[in-house]
Amino acid sequence: METHFFFSDKVVLLFDFWDVQSPAGMALSVLVILLLSVLYESIKFGKAKLLHQNLVSMSTCTSQQNEETDQSSSSSSELPPASTPRLRWFLCHFGQSLIHIAQVVIGYFIMLAVMSYNTWIFLGVVLGSAVGYYLAYPLLSIG
Amino acid sequence: MSHSHHMMTNSVDHTSTMPPSHHHPATAASHLHGGGDGNMMMMVHMTFYFGYTNVELLFYGLVINTAGEMAGAFVGVFLLAMFYEGLKIAREGLLRKSQVSIRYNSMPVPGPNGTILMETHKTVGQQMLSFPHLLQTVLHIIQVVISYFLMLIFMTYNGYLCIAVAAGAGTGYFLFSWKKAVVVDITEHCH
Repeated sequence: METHFFFSDKVVLLFDFWDVQSPAGMALSVLVILLLSVLYESIKFGKAKLLHQNLVSMSTCTSQQNEETDQSSSSSSELPPASTPRLRWFLCHFGQSLIHIAQVVIGYFIMLAVMSYNTWIFLGVVLGSAVGYYLAYPLLSIG
Repeated sequence: MSHSHHMMTNSVDHTSTMPPSHHHPATAASHLHGGGDGNMMMMVHMTFYFGYTNVELLFYGLVINTAGEMAGAFVGVFLLAMFYEGLKIAREGLLRKSQVSIRYNSMPVPGPNGTILMETHKTVGQQMLSFPHLLQTVLHIIQVVISYFLMLIFMTYNGYLCIAVAAGAGTGYFLFSWKKAVVVDITEHCH
């Protein structure tokens, strides 16, 4: 295993079947790694935005729940109001944890790809991070 | 650099002088690199594999050879990843608490007409030699070391250990960020 950056058309990335031998395969691999980097940056940003959105919706939901319980003295046959926002909060937080796992795993995959010391792959990672960071803020801030 | 494709049996023992033979056995062969000269045999995996024999873990002498040892290593790595997530969130909380505590310093100041005025100084941030900052630094060092350990564990390319890292990170995030999110909810939406 080389321990300095080198240019090559042959690389084996992450899995046994991802064996690149030709320039066309290398170009395709760089594109896949680039998209993976873009995905990583957008997941980082999307997680923060999702949390913010859920906090806002939780606060409005709880205020509406308080209004409903004040107006109606008799409880309906539906679920008690305290459990529904809690269940929603649990599901939201569970979803956030799954997104976090995906972020950790993709981050490690990108690190292992860079560890191949192939310069093309490294440039793909850097470019993908730049593009992902550049696109994440305006595209995911809408609304 | 010699390539040797061989079966994933229990005792993988080969010399580096074996000629590269391209026979594909029935079981899936992982991509291995044999070490340099005949003295030291270092098995460096470059692709993901599942196995529990002859797995070196971080330190000299810490070698996993049986399924029971792999299970113990799985639990250890899982707890390490959980601790890392908890440490991250604990540092955030400590930082927020220490910044809020020294934000406003009010001191009585004698006014022009003999009255006492209250002068309020707003300071955000920490002094260099204060205890919270020293504690943050120590925790930062621990966090950096643990993050590098987790990276090195993931670099063994062992499927079980990588799954342990990912699952530990997810569980740690779920358990510790739950409390942090509740705190954020209470403190930031009452104003």
